Amino acid sequence: MSTKEQRERIELLQGTLDLLILRTLRWGPAHGHAIAKTIEFRSEDVLQVEQGSLYPALHRLIKRKWIAVEEGISENNRRAKFYRLTSKGRRQLEVETSKWDKLAGAIARILRPREEGER
Amino acid sequence: MRGRRKRMLEGLDQDIREHIERETQDNIERGMTPEEAAYAARRKFGNVTQVKEDTRNVWSVVWLEQMVEDMYFGLRMLRKNPGFAAVAVLTLALGIGANAAIFSVMNAVLLKPLAIEDPSRLLYVQEQWRDLFPAVSVGNFNDLAQQSISFAKLCASNSASFNLATDEAPQRVQGELASGNYFATFGVQPLVGRGFTTDEDKPGHGQVVVISERLWRTQLHGDLAIVGQPLLLNGARYTVVGIMPKTFDPLLNDSDIWIPEAFTAKQLADYDNHYLNVMGRLKDNVSAAQAQAEMDTIAARLQQQHPIDNKDRGFRSTSLTAALLGDQRLVLRMMLGAVGLLLLIACANVANLQLARARSRQREIALRAAVGASPQRIVRQLLAENVVLGVFGGVGGILLAFWGVSWVVVHGPADVPRLQQTAIDAKTLAFACGVTLFSSVLFGLAPALRSASIRLSEAFKAGTGSGSGSRDRLRSGLVIAEVALALMLMAGAGLLIRSALLVSRVDPGFDTPNLVVGRVGLSETGYHDPVMARQTFERMVREAAALPGVQSAAVVSRAPLAGGGSSNGLLAEGKPFDMANLIDSQLQVVSPGYVSTVRIPLKAGRDFTLQDTRDRTLVTLVNETLARSMWPGQDPIGKRFACCEPGPKGRMDPVWHEVVGVVADVRAWGLDRQIAPEFYLPVAQMPASAWDWIGRTMDLVIRTEGGAIPVRELQTVVASVAPGTPIYHVSSMQNTISSSLERSRFDTMLLTIFAVTALLLSSIGIYGVLSYTVAQRTRDIGIRMTLGATRTQVMRNVLSYGARLTGLGLLAGLGAALVGTRVVASLLYSVRPTDAITFTAVSAVLAGVALLASYIPARRAMRVDPMVALRHE
Repeated sequence: MSTKEQRERIELLQGTLDLLILRTLRWGPAHGHAIAKTIEFRSEDVLQVEQGSLYPALHRLIKRKWIAVEEGISENNRRAKFYRLTSKGRRQLEVETSKWDKLAGAIARILRPREEGER
Repeated sequence: MRGRRKRMLEGLDQDIREHIERETQDNIERGMTPEEAAYAARRKFGNVTQVKEDTRNVWSVVWLEQMVEDMYFGLRMLRKNPGFAAVAVLTLALGIGANAAIFSVMNAVLLKPLAIEDPSRLLYVQEQWRDLFPAVSVGNFNDLAQQSISFAKLCASNSASFNLATDEAPQRVQGELASGNYFATFGVQPLVGRGFTTDEDKPGHGQVVVISERLWRTQLHGDLAIVGQPLLLNGARYTVVGIMPKTFDPLLNDSDIWIPEAFTAKQLADYDNHYLNVMGRLKDNVSAAQAQAEMDTIAARLQQQHPIDNKDRGFRSTSLTAALLGDQRLVLRMMLGAVGLLLLIACANVANLQLARARSRQREIALRAAVGASPQRIVRQLLAENVVLGVFGGVGGILLAFWGVSWVVVHGPADVPRLQQTAIDAKTLAFACGVTLFSSVLFGLAPALRSASIRLSEAFKAGTGSGSGSRDRLRSGLVIAEVALALMLMAGAGLLIRSALLVSRVDPGFDTPNLVVGRVGLSETGYHDPVMARQTFERMVREAAALPGVQSAAVVSRAPLAGGGSSNGLLAEGKPFDMANLIDSQLQVVSPGYVSTVRIPLKAGRDFTLQDTRDRTLVTLVNETLARSMWPGQDPIGKRFACCEPGPKGRMDPVWHEVVGVVADVRAWGLDRQIAPEFYLPVAQMPASAWDWIGRTMDLVIRTEGGAIPVRELQTVVASVAPGTPIYHVSSMQNTISSSLERSRFDTMLLTIFAVTALLLSSIGIYGVLSYTVAQRTRDIGIRMTLGATRTQVMRNVLSYGARLTGLGLLAGLGAALVGTRVVASLLYSVRPTDAITFTAVSAVLAGVALLASYIPARRAMRVDPMVALRHE
C-alpha cells in the first residue's frame, strides 16, 4: 500500500473520528489507549482505525477546546494523560451528532429508496 | 500559542510508547507471544513518525516551520557536497548577477523618472519634413505658442556654449538659450534666486543668467553672494539671477548656463532655420493625441502662410522621456534579453546537476518515503534545498552585480545619459530577489518532481544499470536547450563583433595619425564683424602652423567624425527652383590648406588657395557622393550650384558656386555612419550669415610630426590671437575615433562576455550529462567491450551522443537566432542580422567547444577496464 492511499483514508475518516472520540468521552475521562479500545469494542471491531491516527485527532480537539487534558493515574497505577470533554465539546457533540444523523439518514435514503417508500 | 504547543507535545513520544506498550500487554493477555504481541501492536498503531508529524502539524504553522526545517536540511546536504554546491552557486551567481547589474543600469537610465515635475505630461515637439524630424524654426515655435490651446506651457531652447571668464584660464561651458517659461514648463524651482521674468525674455533686456549648482560649486566657489553679481560670458556681462539644483538637467545635455532667448523681431520672422528644442506641458484635460491633432491643424495653416519655408512641413510630438531615452531603450532591452537567456542557461545547468544528483540520491529519498514522508513533503524538501542554493546564488549574484555596476559606471560609454547614477538600490535588490526565487523554482521543480515520483521498489534495487529512457530524455532536452540558448547569444555577439571589425576597417577618408583637433569659439560681442572673425581664425592658423613640431594647420567648421556640418539644400545650375530639386548637403567651411593638412585625397581639380577671396569667382569643393548625386556620370569640374545665401535681388536670386575640385568622401559623423553629400566653402568666401550658423566656432586642426599633443602651445596661440578665448576638446584624431566607437565597442564587449559565459555554461552542461552517462553505463560499456567492442567504437559512441545533443541544440538555436537577431539590426554596420558567415562561425565555435566537452567523458569511457567494470557489481 502506498503512503498516498493511507493518507487519503485517514483524511476521509477525520471528521468521523473526531465525533467518535467526543462520544466516547461522554462516559468520562479516558486515556488514549482506552479511547481506541472503546471505539473498537463498541463498533464490534468494524472500524479498524489505525490507533496512531487517534493522536493527531486528540490534539486537534484540544486545540479547538472541545476536550481538555489532565494528568492522572491509570488503572494499573501508572501516570497517564486523561482526556475529558469540555462543556464546549459537549455542545459540539450534540451539533455533530445531529449533523451525522442527517447525513446518515440522507445517505440511507439514497441507498435504500424503496424501503423508505414502504415506510 | 507556542508555549502551549510545546507543553502539549512534550509527552507525545511517551504517550505513544505507553499506548503501544498497553496494546502489547493486551495482546499478550490474549495469548500472543511477546514478539508477536509487540509486532501486532506496532502494526495496529501505524506509522509512528507520520503520527508524530501529523500531531505536531496540528499545532504549527506547518509550511513555515517545515520550510525552515527543510532549509536547514538543505544546508546540511549542500555542505556534504561542496563540489556540487560550488558549481551550482557560482552558475546561479553569474546568471543572477548579470541580470541584477543590467537591470540596475536599465533602472538608472530608463526607468527612473526624469527629475522634473510629472514628466508624463511633457511632450517634445519636432518638425516633420519628409522622413526627417528637424528642430523647430523660431517662427513656427512662436506661431505654435500663440495659436495652440492644448499646452499649459510651451517653451523652447537651443544649446549654445560660452566662454566663461574665471579667475584662472577662461572656461568653455555648455549651456542653453531658453525661452522665459523654460523652468516653469519643467516645474522645477531654482535652488536660490529665480528664473527669467517675461521682460527678461525680450530683446535688449536679456542680460541675465541662471547657472547650475554644479557650475556654481566647481567654478564659482559655491558662494551665495554670486546671485546678483555679473558673469563675463563671451565677453559680455550677464547678471546671475538664479541657481538651479544639480538634478535639473531636463534635456540630459549637462547644461550649466541658461540665458533668455529674447527673440528679436527678425528672429521671430525666421521660418527657414530650424534649431529649437520645443517642449510643452499638456493641460490637465488634454491628451497627447488631442494636442497632436491641434498641432496638425496649425501646421496646415503654417504651410499656407509660408509656402516656401513650410512646404510639406508638419509637427510631430513624442513624450519627452521617449524622445530623450528612446535610443537607450533598444540596447538596454537587448542586454536584458541577453542576460535573461544567460539566466535560463544557468538554470538549465543547475537543473541538470540536480537531476544527476537526484539519481544518486534515489535511495536516500526512497528511504525518506519509506519512513513516512509524503510525496508533497519530499518535493517541498527538495525545493527548499533549491531555495537554499538560490539564496546563496542570489547573494553571490548581488555581490557580482555590485562589482559589475561599479565597473560599468567607470568603463561605460560616456554618452549614455544617467549611466553614472547607476547603483544597486532597493528596486534592484527586489528584482534580484525575484529573479532568485524564480530561478530556484525553475531549476528545482523538474528534479524535485522527478525524485518524488520514484518507485520505492525500483530505487531499492541495486540499480547501476542503464537509466530509464525518459530520465535521460529530460536531461538531454535541457542540454539541447542550453546549446540553443547559447547559440542565440553567440549569434548576437558574433554579429556585433563582425560589425565592429568591419567598422574598424572603414577608411575614414583621411590620414588620422599625428592629426590633432581642438575647438575654438569666438564670442559674438568681440567678433561680430565677419571680417574680424575670419582674420582672427586665419592668424590662428598661421601661428599654429609656425609652432615647432607642427607641419601644417587649418580650420574647419566641423572636423571629421565629430558630427558633420550644417545642412543646406543645393540647386544644380539648369534645374528649376523647386524643393524637390534641392540636394540636401552638409556644408564645411574651411581655410585653404585644410584638405592638404588632413590629407583628404583630391580626386579631381584643385584645392582652395589664398586667392579664392570674396571678390573672385565663388568656388567650392564637393565630395564624391555629392558629385555623383548632383551630376551622375558627368565631370563636375566647372559646374555650378546655388546655395547658402540670397543674391542681391532677394531670395529667388541664386548665388552660384563653381566646383573647382572633387575630394574623397570623409566620414563626417563617425566611422559607422553613412556618408552624406558634402561640400566645402573657403572661409574667405563664406556668406556673412554663415558665421552665425557655425556660432563663430571652428575646429583648429594641426598635422604634427608626432609626439605629445601640444595642448599648452595651442592654448597660448589661441589666447594670444583671441584674448579670453579657450581652446577645448583638444584631442588626437585617433582618440576621437576610438571614443566615437566607445559605445558600440562597449555593447559588443558586454554581449561577448555574456556569450562566452553562455558557451562555458552550456559546455559544462554537455560535459556533465556525458560524464554522468558514462559513469552510469560503466557496466554496459564493460560488457560491450568483453563482447568485442573496440575502444574506438566505445569512444565514438559517447562522442556521437554528444554530437547529437549539440547538433539538435544548434538546429534549434539557429532557428531561434534567425528570428531573434533582428533586435540587434539597428546596431549593425553593413552586416545583415542573418549574416551567414557569422552564423557559420559561431556554430563552428560552439560545436568545437561542445565536442571538446564530450571528448573528456568519451576518453573516460574508452579507458573502462571491462574486468573492473564487471567486478564492480
